[in-house]
Parts: sequence; C-alpha cells; structure tokens
Amino acid sequence: MNANILLGLSPLLIVAVGALVLMVVEALSRFRDERLESPSASLAVSSSVVLFASAIAAAGVWFYGPENLPEVSSLAPWLLLDRFSLFFFVILTLGGALSCLLAGGYLPEHKLDRGEFYPLLLLSTVGAMTLAAAGDMLTIFLGLEAMSLGVYTMVAFRRGSPRSIEAALKYFLLGSFAAALLLYGGALLYGATGHTDLSGIGSQLANTGLRLVKSDSEVPSDMLLIAYDNAVPLVMVGLVLILVGLAFKVSAVPFHMWTPDAYEGAPTPATTYMAVVVKAAAFALMLRVLLIAFADAKTASWGTGWPPVVAGLAVATMTVANVIAVRQESVKRMLAYSSIAHAGTLLIAVVAATKATQQAEASMIYYLLAYTVSTAGAFGTLILCGSRGAEAVSYEDLAGLGRRHPAIAFAFSLFLLSLAGVPPLAGFFGKFYLFRVAIDNGFTMLAVLGLLNSVIAAYYYLRVLVVMYMKEPEPGAPIAVPMRSGYVAAALLISAVLVVLLGLLPNGTLEAAILAAG
Amino acid sequence: MVETYAPLLLMFALAFVVVIGFFLASHYLGPKKPSPEKMMPFESGNPSEGASHLRMSVKYFLTAISFVVFDVEVVFLYLWAVHFKSLGGAGLLMAAAFLAMLLIGLVYELRKGALEWEN
Repeated sequence: MNANILLGLSPLLIVAVGALVLMVVEALSRFRDERLESPSASLAVSSSVVLFASAIAAAGVWFYGPENLPEVSSLAPWLLLDRFSLFFFVILTLGGALSCLLAGGYLPEHKLDRGEFYPLLLLSTVGAMTLAAAGDMLTIFLGLEAMSLGVYTMVAFRRGSPRSIEAALKYFLLGSFAAALLLYGGALLYGATGHTDLSGIGSQLANTGLRLVKSDSEVPSDMLLIAYDNAVPLVMVGLVLILVGLAFKVSAVPFHMWTPDAYEGAPTPATTYMAVVVKAAAFALMLRVLLIAFADAKTASWGTGWPPVVAGLAVATMTVANVIAVRQESVKRMLAYSSIAHAGTLLIAVVAATKATQQAEASMIYYLLAYTVSTAGAFGTLILCGSRGAEAVSYEDLAGLGRRHPAIAFAFSLFLLSLAGVPPLAGFFGKFYLFRVAIDNGFTMLAVLGLLNSVIAAYYYLRVLVVMYMKEPEPGAPIAVPMRSGYVAAALLISAVLVVLLGLLPNGTLEAAILAAG
Repeated sequence: MVETYAPLLLMFALAFVVVIGFFLASHYLGPKKPSPEKMMPFESGNPSEGASHLRMSVKYFLTAISFVVFDVEVVFLYLWAVHFKSLGGAGLLMAAAFLAMLLIGLVYELRKGALEWEN
C-alpha cells in the first residue's frame, strides 16, 4: 500500500468515503434548520460535489497517466485501473451526479424527502465503478451486487405506493436471477479453465482452443479442475449463462421485461440512475468479459461463437423496443423503451468490436457519454414538468408546454433531438461513429437495421415535440404545473451544455475515447 | 464422460423412484377416515388459532439483520486474529478500517432508532 496506489484508487475512494461521511452526517444532524428549503436537498449538493470530485480525480489520474503509476498494476487482475476504467469512471460519476441533483428537486417536491437516498446512490456508484474496472469474476460479482443492492432500494423509495413496490420486487427478483446466472457461468468457466480472472480465462481458451489438454497428459494438481477433455460443453454453457446475465443487466430483448415496469414505478431520479449509470456499467462489463475472456479465434468468430448471438440480440432489442415505444401513452414509459432501444444500438458496436476492437470500443464509449447526458436531461425535464401530487407522465400533460413554459419545452426538445440523433447534437455523433464503425467492418446489414430503427425512434421523440408546441390542453383537463427547483435547473444546464458541446466539438472527447479503448 | 457419471445418475433415478413410490403407496394403500380435527393444520399438537398471515413487527427484522451484520464481523475478525502476526501492520490497518466502517453503521443504526425496542 503506497501513495501511488491510493492516487490510482482515488476516484473510487472519494465516492466510498464520501458516502460513509454523508451517511453519518445525515444520521447525526437532525435537519431542524428552517432556513433550508428542504432538509435533504443540502445532501444532494454534497453528494453531487463528491461525485464531481471523483470525476475530477479520474481526469487527474488520466492526465497523470495510469502508466506512470506502476504500483497500480499490482491490483490486477482484480481491478484494472487503465484508461478504459478511468473514462467510465467519468461517465458513471457524471450520471450519478446528475441523478443526485435531480433527486434534490424531485424528492422534496414529492414528499419523499428522506436523506438515505444519497448515501445509497453513492454506494451504488462505488459498485458501478468497481464493475467497470473489474477484471476478475469475483470482483465483477462484488461490484454487481454492490451496485444492484443500492438501486433495488432506490426503486422502492416511494414506500406507500404499490406500484413502486411492485417495480422494486420485479427488479429485485430478476436482478438476482441475472446475478446468479452470471455467477454460475463464472463458476463453470473456472471449472473449465482453472481461472477466475478474465485474462486468464482468455489465454487459456486462446492458447489451446477449446480442447485444452488431453486428459491422460499432465493434469494440474488442483483437484477442482475436471479433465480438460470435457471442458468444451462447460465453456459453452458458461458463455451462454454469462451472456444471459449480461443481457439482463443491459436489458436486451428478450430479457427486458422488467425494464419498463421498474423504470416507470421508480422515482424519476432513480429511473435516471438506472437508465444511465447501471446501463453504462453493464456495458463496460460486457466489453471486458466478451473482449478479454472470449476473444479467442473460436468463441469470437462469426461461425462458432457469440457474435451472431449478440447481433441477434441487437436487432431484436432495437426493433421490439422501438415498435413498443411508439405505442406508449406515458412519456416516462416511452423513455424506458427508448433506453432499451439504445442498448440495442450499442450491441451493434459490441459485434463490430470483434473486427476492430479499438474503434468499436471508442464509438461505444462516446455513444454512452452522449446517451448519459441526453437521457439524464430528458428525465430531468420530465421531472421539471410535474409538481407535487401531479407527476407529468402522459403526452397530454405536456400539451401547450411550448407556449406556457418555452424554456422547459426548448430544453426537452434539445434532449429528445439528441436522443433521436439529430445533428449537431451529441446523440448524432454517437450514432454516426457507431454506424460508421459497423459499416467499415462489414456489418452493413446491422447498420442498416440500426438506421431504420432510428427512423422509427424519431417518430416517438418528435411526437413529444408536436404535443408540446402544436397542441393545446383539452378544456377542463388538469394542467400540470411545473415545479421550481434550482437543483433540477442546474442538472439540466450541465446536461444541455454537454449535449451541445459534445455535438459541436466532438474531436477532443473522441480522441480521449480512442485512447481509452486502446 | 457419461460412464463417469452413470452411477450418479442411476442413484438419482433410484432416489426419485423410491420417493415417488412411497408417496403413491401411502396414498393408495393407507386407510382414510377424515374428521374435522384431522383436517386442521398441524401446529405441534396445539389447536391452531388466528389467521395464517401474521404481521410481524419490523423490530424483529431490524434486530435480526443487525445480528447478522455483527456476527459476520466477528467471523472476519477470527480469520484476521489467526493470521495476526503474518499480516502485520498492514493487516492491523485494514482491520481497523473494516471496524471503522462497521462502527459508522452502528452509529447510523443508533441514531435512526433501530435499536430502540420500546415504541
């Protein structure tokens, strides 16, 4: 343990220590201060400060260079603190900080003003960061559970509402199954290869193919290892189980059933957190597992391995999610399906990564960053549109918003257009790079299907704009009064600036993403 | 591979057949003279009372979960104590950090009133 390791770990440590400190502060102070507009809102600011500090620490380590911290490699294979992890740390903490700010406005407004939301969010971000940096099945499981436990609780935060409890229960049961499948897959791989670390599994599979050693030759002394001759089915079953677990976590069709219910029943800041942070961490995990452990010639080939499966998942996810999203009457549910559809688009890049790892990973990282700020902004504006007791959920609630509250309507349009992929916003370049990588590497069919799906998606994003600007509320219909909150406004401002900046000046970020992927 | 596991499979099959067989045998061979007392759910010989869906006070869960947390803490400390010498100063530091985190949890519990049995 020395200073360099602490420096390398500082992004994680800041969030972990911050979470513990805020937990104690929240418990010790009674928040009787009448001057504060709401007791827990000050916690929202402190937690987002902690998360931004962690992002800055990650950026600091990035510029210092992880290669200049040789001691950090002693943490491998459990934690891989490379540029890939550091970039994901920034995405995750940014998403977490935006969710915190949104919660600072949302929770008091909806009488959910309890301080434990923020330590939970911070601790679950620690789990997500561990997951993004994990290079071993054991740390993967640790990070996954640390992340999920906090999120389960955040989903159930509206204790009195049956819908919220239903959402939390569904998410909890399916999330536990997914974690169990992942763990079982890891156990089978350990049985087949004798390694729990991803690179060990990868080199074992790559060096000898799937038939590793003849069973009559030297059998390793480790008695847990079964004869290698029998390893082929084990590896295959392990791969399938791990793929299913990952698909649950990124909510790919047909493992998406829990997503709309969980997203709709959760308080909107928790929904934002799930759509942004949990998804990004799950994709980081997916890239690591598939491209380190299963990157050998056989399992990563189109004929005999996982790429066609992932491609199938991508097409099914995009198409099903987009078609269902068109039929939704609730904007929150539409955004839930839209986040599933975006996961499908990202899966295209996972397939492309078998040919051009660096470009595909870079395009995914950039897409995830653009998706994070756009989605957090879209959910944030949805929060801003509703007030106590009357959350804006349906399209009708938004009618006439363009005339009554032009600033909110403009912000909502900005984020939705970015999600739809309209230039010159962040989402456009995300999609552009991603499809370009796919086409350059011969996955034209996938790219074409992805583009067709973007057209379907544009329909339901633009529908919100039509309702906001070209419709007036029915006479006598209850008009949702937007809430006022400096915290939500701050979150929206940050996301709006980033959406525009990432769209207008993508070069610096893209170069960083390529560096991260390399 | 199949030969290796064949005896195991045979054992599973045998166990399955025996269990199902006994159930079927007692179902078809046993005499049945139902009476109201016999049809009641069995509660250690006592007459059953009340609804089956009892609502328990959340206090029991809080106590139980605190017990689990601190019990596991002791288990970890045993391992550390056994290897105290070989782990040295770094081990002491890590155990201290571990205990500090749990202490924070205890403080949190106390302040939130999870350990108050009355009210």
